[in-house]
Amino acid sequence: MGAAGGPKVTVSGLGDYAGLGGRAMTSLIVAAEVPPLAHALGAENKLVISPGMLSGTVGSMTGRLSVGCKSPLTGTIKESNAGGQAAQVLARLGYAAVILEGKPAGDDLYKIVINKDGINVIVDNSLKLLDNYPLVAKLRTEYGDKVAYMTIGTAGERKMLSASIACTDPELRPTRHCGRGGVGAVMGAKRVKAIIIDDAGVTMRPAKNIEGYRDANRKFVEGLRKHPVTGEGLPAYGTNVLTNVLNEAGGYPTNNFKTGQFAGSSKISGEAQAELEVKRGGSATHGCHRGCVIQCSGIYNDKDGNYVTKQPEYETVWSHGGHCGIDDLDTIARLDYMDDNIGVDTIEMGVTIGVAMDAGIIEFGDRAGAIRLLEEVGKGTPLGCILGAGAAVTGKVFGVERVPVVKDQALPAYDPRAIQGIGVTYATSTQGADHTMGYAIATNILKVGGDVDPLKTEGQIELSRNLQIATAAIDSTGMCLFIAFAILDQPETFQALLDMLGSFHGITMTGDDVVALGKRVLSAERDFNKRAGFTKYHDRLPRFFYDEPVAPHNLTFMMKDEELDDLFNW
Amino acid sequence: MKYAAREGFSLAAVIRETTVKRETLELNLIVDQLNLFFPLLQKGVTIPAIVGCTLKSLLVDQLAIPADYVTDRITTIFFNNSPVDDLERTVIQDGSRVTLSAAMPGLVGATMRRGGFYAALREGISHAVDSGKTVDASGTVRLKLFNLLLGELGPTVLARGIILEQDEFTELLCTLPPQANHSLHDTGRVLLSATFEGVPR
Repeated sequence: MGAAGGPKVTVSGLGDYAGLGGRAMTSLIVAAEVPPLAHALGAENKLVISPGMLSGTVGSMTGRLSVGCKSPLTGTIKESNAGGQAAQVLARLGYAAVILEGKPAGDDLYKIVINKDGINVIVDNSLKLLDNYPLVAKLRTEYGDKVAYMTIGTAGERKMLSASIACTDPELRPTRHCGRGGVGAVMGAKRVKAIIIDDAGVTMRPAKNIEGYRDANRKFVEGLRKHPVTGEGLPAYGTNVLTNVLNEAGGYPTNNFKTGQFAGSSKISGEAQAELEVKRGGSATHGCHRGCVIQCSGIYNDKDGNYVTKQPEYETVWSHGGHCGIDDLDTIARLDYMDDNIGVDTIEMGVTIGVAMDAGIIEFGDRAGAIRLLEEVGKGTPLGCILGAGAAVTGKVFGVERVPVVKDQALPAYDPRAIQGIGVTYATSTQGADHTMGYAIATNILKVGGDVDPLKTEGQIELSRNLQIATAAIDSTGMCLFIAFAILDQPETFQALLDMLGSFHGITMTGDDVVALGKRVLSAERDFNKRAGFTKYHDRLPRFFYDEPVAPHNLTFMMKDEELDDLFNW
Repeated sequence: MKYAAREGFSLAAVIRETTVKRETLELNLIVDQLNLFFPLLQKGVTIPAIVGCTLKSLLVDQLAIPADYVTDRITTIFFNNSPVDDLERTVIQDGSRVTLSAAMPGLVGATMRRGGFYAALREGISHAVDSGKTVDASGTVRLKLFNLLLGELGPTVLARGIILEQDEFTELLCTLPPQANHSLHDTGRVLLSATFEGVPR
């Protein structure tokens, strides 16, 4: 973007990056090519956009898109991924990655158009200070409805540390976000407002073994459909089905992590949400991209049947709900829409508002106040810019001691004092507190860490390590992480996944290959962070988790530092 | 005493026994009305039970849930807020809180699963197995149903009978269609049983 005379486009072969995709592609490029001490919003940083290894094929669940860079929020390496249509369309055009480098001089704003004829970078200052919904509406008048859009709202343009990159869903709503780590601020720093991806005139990516791939995909889909989580629970209730369960376990962080249970949980549960959506003419079952058979999303309408937002996820319902003492689904849906429109991470923003409540800016449970604070972010007022910088900055500005962040990234919706193993992943993840860094639960099938005696319980460190390795690998395939349950319980479904990878690339894949990929990615990420100045002392939870017991179990976080330090020893 | 039938609501409520402290109320409803009870079942209902038995016995012998359903479908169980791994070494006491859920998504869903591979991740809150002799006695258990089990076990639990305190009963009545006789608001604690007819839409 910073080339003399204006942005320049170069298309090159993959070289050492051949065969990679998703998180493997983004992290290995960033680790090799971005100076670890670079300013994340400076010209030296790179924004790497990569579809998964199987994206763009006829394979089901292959539509995750990874975006990587040095994070302006955490200072670490970052990979943030999302569903939506972008991964499929970009992969069909034949691009394994798009890398935004440099930084243009001046204030011009750019859009990038990618189609079968090539890539064009175009100045378009008419897009300035548009939020995601009106931005996409404006772009659709020019580029139509048969493309995918990646955009940033005003938060990204203003380089807020919580800024996300939106990917449009099949209905062209900007609802699927690469949310974590401020990747939208990096896109904003490079002055890129929108990427329009048009796959007209191209076809699906063909597998090396077409019949084998089709057969493996069929078995894979059968496995997803017959499993109670992927075939019943997620389609019926979405991820918010977890609210009741976490609350019952006493691990539902409430009022900025003051207690582990929320009295209003049943009012905002997935069960209540699904019923309301159906009653109002919305839907509790909807896919974020074509080719999804799990359909964990939905459509949330207001009481008059008008669209408000996509079905808020569990993390969003928690961050704007229980975390802030708010038990009203309509308020949460409104905040979810605003997050998507302004272009901010729903976890970071909800946690930040909870920290602001702890600071006394508004009271816990203040529905109108929460909306007002988010409006400040959208307007870019001084208060809005502080909030838009995330929970860590907000906590420092307002002198709050209880700030739930690791490496300055807000914790997700599971209290690590109740579920200590999750705390291990929060503390040691290469990317700041992130539940999805240790999410691929099929480690026993993958035999990460070798053959484990099924009668012997693995320790929390070993489990977290193996989960992080497996997740790094799954994140590279472009597969949705929700496939994990079916491949955990059904060996034939896991084999079908391996067969999909193998038949597509014309090789035989084993669990060992997947594990090796995961270790390679994690090692590169860890090495980048080390060179960026991160040490074992950054792999810790905030002190209040060690000092303040949380009800109802009245536990503190008890993992020893030496145990955490052992996580990356393999 | 009967409720007047309302359009779309086939209701025949009979108080067949009146005592100072508890009345018995039977409802015959159409199956589409089952979801009116979902908020109540999520928040928890009190059921009469023989306590002193194991959790497995409560589910299989008293609630008459098939054993294979308990094994295959009720994969996540909480006992007094603690995830349970061993149903046969968990002893029901008077006032125990039992929560039943189907399999949940995500790592935490897997972590909470009964006897699951990732149970160690929540070992600090897991229910420790009970030991020692138990004595059967009459009592109550607080039961919650979540997600897929609302529709699948709700009819069984409601047909067997739930004990509602007056405020709970009043809240339930507010969700039902307007009643002809509001004197039920003054009945105090109620043992309510409901049966459902028809095929779910």
